[in-house]
Amino acid sequence: MHRLKHFALPLLLLLAFAVLPAGCDLAGSGESESDFDRAAMLRNYGENLALPAFEALKTEADELQAAAAAFSGEQNASSLADLREELKHARLAWQHASLYSFGPAEMRLLRPSLNTYPVDTAQVEENIASGEYDLGAVGQRDAAGFPAMGYMLYGLEEDDAALLERYRAGNGGEEALQYLSDLANQIQSLAGATLADWQGSGGDYLGTFLSEERAGTDKGSSLGMMFNAYVLHFERFLRSGKIGIPSGVLSAGVPRPRATEAYYGGYSAELALANLRAVRRFFRGEDTEGIDGPGLRDNLQAAGADELASEIEAKMQEAENALQGVSDPLSAQIENDNEPVLDAFTRLQDVVSLVKADMASVLGVTITYQDNDGD
Amino acid sequence: MSSIMSGTGMRSRAKALRERAGRFFLKPVSIAPLVVFRVLFGALMLAGTLRFAWKGWIRDLYITPEYFFRYYGFEWLPVPGDPAIYGLFLLMGLSALGIMLGYRYRWSALLFFLSFTWVELIDKTNYLNHYYFVSLVSFLLILVPAHRSFSLDVRRRPSLKRASVPAWCVHIFKLQLGIVYVHAGLAKLNADWLMEALPLKLWLPARAHLPLIGGWLDETVTAYLFSWGGALYDLSIPFLLLYGRTRAFAYAAVVLFHGMTALLFQIGMFPYIMTGCTLIFFSPAFHERLLGVMRAAGRKLAFRRGGGGKAARSLSGAGFSRDPVEGSAGVRTTLRGGLLHAALVIFFMLQLLVPHRHLLYPGNVFWNEEGYRFSWRVMLMEKAGHAVFHVRDPDTGREWQVSNYEFLTPNQEKMMATQPDMILQFAHYLEDHYRSEGYGDVAVSVEARVTLNGRRSSLLVDPGVDLTEKERGLAHKEWILPYPRNAQSWMGGRKQ
Repeated sequence: MHRLKHFALPLLLLLAFAVLPAGCDLAGSGESESDFDRAAMLRNYGENLALPAFEALKTEADELQAAAAAFSGEQNASSLADLREELKHARLAWQHASLYSFGPAEMRLLRPSLNTYPVDTAQVEENIASGEYDLGAVGQRDAAGFPAMGYMLYGLEEDDAALLERYRAGNGGEEALQYLSDLANQIQSLAGATLADWQGSGGDYLGTFLSEERAGTDKGSSLGMMFNAYVLHFERFLRSGKIGIPSGVLSAGVPRPRATEAYYGGYSAELALANLRAVRRFFRGEDTEGIDGPGLRDNLQAAGADELASEIEAKMQEAENALQGVSDPLSAQIENDNEPVLDAFTRLQDVVSLVKADMASVLGVTITYQDNDGD
Repeated sequence: MSSIMSGTGMRSRAKALRERAGRFFLKPVSIAPLVVFRVLFGALMLAGTLRFAWKGWIRDLYITPEYFFRYYGFEWLPVPGDPAIYGLFLLMGLSALGIMLGYRYRWSALLFFLSFTWVELIDKTNYLNHYYFVSLVSFLLILVPAHRSFSLDVRRRPSLKRASVPAWCVHIFKLQLGIVYVHAGLAKLNADWLMEALPLKLWLPARAHLPLIGGWLDETVTAYLFSWGGALYDLSIPFLLLYGRTRAFAYAAVVLFHGMTALLFQIGMFPYIMTGCTLIFFSPAFHERLLGVMRAAGRKLAFRRGGGGKAARSLSGAGFSRDPVEGSAGVRTTLRGGLLHAALVIFFMLQLLVPHRHLLYPGNVFWNEEGYRFSWRVMLMEKAGHAVFHVRDPDTGREWQVSNYEFLTPNQEKMMATQPDMILQFAHYLEDHYRSEGYGDVAVSVEARVTLNGRRSSLLVDPGVDLTEKERGLAHKEWILPYPRNAQSWMGGRKQ
């Protein structure tokens, strides 16, 4: 019996630990550390940011398709200008939607299908000439989507007169017009299908996104998936794709101005800035109208990490300032004066570190793009 | 004079102690606990192997990667490609089944140990404490005659059957489990865990959506209770399990504790393995009853199938006689042989020393991870990072950064970013890569920003160091920057 005494204290404490899950309210009421409502944050992201982003993409893709049809009917300076304008609008809409490359967008391979660049111009020319291609095929990604459309509207010929002539000419014009309209249809149908997947009337991914069983922060959860898609986008597609690779930071020190997002359109820096602003709005939980809802910033603040939230804000502002110092066409900026581009890259990198390491840790979100156990 | 007297006294006392220890370890005990342990462990390993394959992890972890982070000293071990790796997993699954059924048991145990350990040694990205635990236990299983009852081996050769084994055969597993728990507990005795309730303070609120318990996971006091409770649990549970009066209660705590961790964290099979393995602390009578139940179930199954009655009968065999001499004599002589004795002594000496090797390195083991692996630091830190590699070509003067994802899987990239030895390995790999591309003697440095337990991230490695000039090895890596004292906690602003 005396031996039991040695165990008395640990036993008692263990007992206390053991009965705790039975619902004992040790903490008392109203002492909750954070009254942050993660479900409300997810609803804001789903209903006010993601879904509208796909709606806007669909609208712009529809208009792009209509403008392409109009151009097919009549090829003149005005219809060309309209089509170019609509392409730019669609690409700007993409800067928001591309943040949500999980769920339906991931299933439909939206990003690789719509925005793989630089465009493979030889492949495009070959497709036009042969008339035999499947734009949905993996091997055609370099010749499809927005970048291919950009090449068709700016890069196909030396100047606008020659370009219009190419489309008008009896020999080969029809083929080029056909390719243009196939591109527009591809973009429209992918944007439409992805939106339908999100909508309640379609695949209702929004319902899945907000469902109870996806409410955690681990790998399968909505927040986990969205956060990982966000960080991946920020690091790989904004920082690296739009800035790092063309400027040479990520391509063995050799600048590749033709690898900019809208090389032929010449508004790559504008797209990058729009994307950074979308990334920033996402952090705040702010929709495109500027209405601020619960977002990651609020989540950080509720967790007590106000300073981290303001640090991220400040670094994002610095990145935005740096990016504003980069002028279009970005390719020319890179060739003539790469310093501002390199500076923008460094600023973007500072934010990535804070978001990917510090913020993920504080929020307890598992950074993993791959399913595996921990210990 | 007196010193000689006491010297002789000590020698005779030491001799007496040795004899007592000998009697303690060689005393015949019922084979039942060992048999149940074998069956459960085999079944869990079979389930674990199937789960691993089912989730597609064989492909994700061993086929997809182009590069593997080899363990220091094990670079010679071949990486079985596709399809050989599937063969290795098949072997692993079959040998786990062999352990469970006691079929050609020694071979099964040996093959399971070798195949499992081989897979683990391919890439340290996938290191988990519980995989290490499995390797150790399956090694110990090779040494014991766990197949000499309730097994297909006994059915094939009834003469193998024994009712008892030398006590060490059962005790080594208790010792191994005790070592795991006590070290896991000792590792928790640090300021972050006890004083700040970190990292649980970060992890638990992330689970606040769970039904029933979710509400109070958000409370700071819960993080403290879990931290202290967890440390106390680890430090006391092996002793409470050893002692008959507290055993049932302790096992309830085992079930509750591991049940909680299974619910709260993504830790796969570990909770079930521990819950199964700790049954070995229970009495022979308990295990004999358990075997009786298994036997009855097996008989029922056999009768339902029809014609299988013979198998069930032979599996059931006679009851457990307590005849000590006849039961374990054979095994006793092998222990006397010395080799096994020495192997076990060395094994457990290492088990006691290896977890403390971090004391040989300066600095914070959580930060530099020198001596971190194989030391039962389970779920002890929240660490995340972002590693940017800078390459400089001396021939052209050009500098650039590396897109890690072109070489590594996301999981490898994530693990590498916070572990200095992996950062060094990757830097060497990059050097080789650029050399093969025709570059000269490039310099590779890293800017790795790492956050530990919710504190402001800071540089892990001196960014001015050319890592291609640094050798791999067990010596302290002087290029790791010290963990910043008083690093600012991002959680400081939390309203109390």
